[in-house]
Amino acid sequence: MRIKRLHVEIVTAITLAAVGALGATGALELGVSWSESGPMPGYFPFYVGIILIVAAFASAAQAIFRLKMGSEEMRETFLEPEQTRRVLSFLLPMIVFVIVTVFLGTYIGTALYLFYVAWRNGGYKPWIAILIGVVFSIALYFVFEKAFQVPLHKGPIEEMLGIY
Amino acid sequence: MENFELLMGGFATALTPMHITLMIVGVLLGLIVGVLPGLGAPNGVSLLIPLTFTMDPVSAIILLASMYWGALFGGSTTSILFNIPGEPSSVATTFDGYPMARSGQSTRALTLAFMSAGIGAFVGIVVITLLSTWAARFALRFGAAEYFAVYFLAFCAFVGMGSASPIKTAVSLSLGLLLSTVGMDTVTGSLRLTFGIEALLSGVSFLVVVIGLFGIGELLATVQDGLKFRGVASRIDPRDVFKTMLELPKYFTTIVRSSAVGIWMGITPGGPTAASFMSYGLARQWSKPGEKFGTGRPEGIVAPETADHSAGTCAMLPMLALGVPSSATAAVMMGGLMIWGLTPGPMLFTTQPDFVWGLIASMYISNFVGVILVLLTVPFFAALLRIPFSIIGPMIVAICFVGAYTVANSTSDLWLVLIFGVVGFVFNKLEFPLAPLVLAMVLGSKAESSFHQSMIASDGSLGIFFSNYLVGSIMTVALALLIIPQSLKFIKYLRSHKNVDAAA
Repeated sequence: MRIKRLHVEIVTAITLAAVGALGATGALELGVSWSESGPMPGYFPFYVGIILIVAAFASAAQAIFRLKMGSEEMRETFLEPEQTRRVLSFLLPMIVFVIVTVFLGTYIGTALYLFYVAWRNGGYKPWIAILIGVVFSIALYFVFEKAFQVPLHKGPIEEMLGIY
Repeated sequence: MENFELLMGGFATALTPMHITLMIVGVLLGLIVGVLPGLGAPNGVSLLIPLTFTMDPVSAIILLASMYWGALFGGSTTSILFNIPGEPSSVATTFDGYPMARSGQSTRALTLAFMSAGIGAFVGIVVITLLSTWAARFALRFGAAEYFAVYFLAFCAFVGMGSASPIKTAVSLSLGLLLSTVGMDTVTGSLRLTFGIEALLSGVSFLVVVIGLFGIGELLATVQDGLKFRGVASRIDPRDVFKTMLELPKYFTTIVRSSAVGIWMGITPGGPTAASFMSYGLARQWSKPGEKFGTGRPEGIVAPETADHSAGTCAMLPMLALGVPSSATAAVMMGGLMIWGLTPGPMLFTTQPDFVWGLIASMYISNFVGVILVLLTVPFFAALLRIPFSIIGPMIVAICFVGAYTVANSTSDLWLVLIFGVVGFVFNKLEFPLAPLVLAMVLGSKAESSFHQSMIASDGSLGIFFSNYLVGSIMTVALALLIIPQSLKFIKYLRSHKNVDAAA
């Protein structure tokens, strides 16, 4: 079955309503009524959460209404298989990049990420791809750590090499 | 003439070698950001803010504002040469800009765009110069209730006047407000909505959210359709530049009308994107007969560009004078101001005149610098887009994540960028507007604390929002903006339905 825009509209609305409900219940614990010093800390987030729930359901209702009115837009496929492939081939390496960066530091993560995408998606020769990754990583180091004196996240390997 | 003296003082602040260098750097960075897909003005400014923590506020704001102007220019460049709007606000420029460039007149198209953009910006800054002191003085009469009313007005204006569905705008706004309450409550000092997650103790940074929504989200949207850059030659011929400049007086009425649209949309929270579309539409309606619009008509370039830039500059006025930004980028800059320890709003004019007038003076200079720089460097920046996406794409991604990390030196922000990247992509596809979310995140805590203060003052009665003419009229306008456009739509819908029934 193909995922249609309508399905995504409804799933998004339910997710947003859930976020609103999470906020509102979290706010309930803080107190949502009035104390002597004015509204309690949960007052504002509670009502904002309620508005979010209402608005999210209204957007789902609107999507269903538009379908009933014969809107072609709602029947459209959300992502064609080709588009899904393109988005995933970009998104998945990015997720791996974040994981690697958290554990091994920005420089290693960036170099590996640029290398992988240039090699696999770009079809570059491995050594050129490695060069792109390493040069960019070194450039990051000089721009951030040297020029702007902003330290980036480092992992065990930088520590081993004595780069702080 | 008081403003004139203050402006001269501002020029004295802005015209130092250091600040002029910053303007050039800012404009160049802005051009890069504007040209590259996935790096727009709001998220470029977000990426730069952590690097300005150590600078003094005047230099920092000059750098950021110059980057904004550069990004606006850069966005038009890609619209004309590649038919790819680098910024949402330059979408309308593609309609006539790209056809004109394709017919071999790319220099003419670019010059028309940059010159009218420069003129639009200039008109916008003149308006700021003339109105800012007055606006700030007016705002000095504001108390907590009036402030809440103004924030409420900004939110209502987005719902009522935005181009997106009002319901979806309301979703974005309330999501942004909810996110702004995470972490330490500024009024009571209690921790809220952290759910025991340590990373949420310091709240969700709007900078990180902007980088995710506008950076990663936009990149995913670009990738989805595959990338085919079919650019036209980007060589600039100086003779054509001058010829086109002489041509400009012909479009005088278009420029005046578009500037007026831009000023209006910039001061009210319509923003540059809405301004450029509206101005293009008006130019098409009011144009003299001639070539069709969409085939490379000069007015079709002049109108959206003038409005885009005058709206972009005018958006600084409510931000400085009231503390209410009217575009996503202005919202990010205002967040930056608060990080540097400045409170945007009328007091800024009395406590930090150097800052305010230095910024305003720098806007004159950097827009002038921008027009010249962009004409000189267009071929170079256009070449950036010829770099294969499999190389430049990951670089943009890496810069986004590095930028998000530098906001608070926390790796948990990397996950937030990823999450909001996906949210941005889905929101884009489903046409949820992103600017209200950012605005709500930046204004959330201020709106809440002014609400809190008014409630304390009135002992919990909502009547305080109608207790005097000033606050009452702001609230009435806000509610009118919320209700009237919707009811008009509803009446129209009922009418059209009746007609259908009658016909059947």
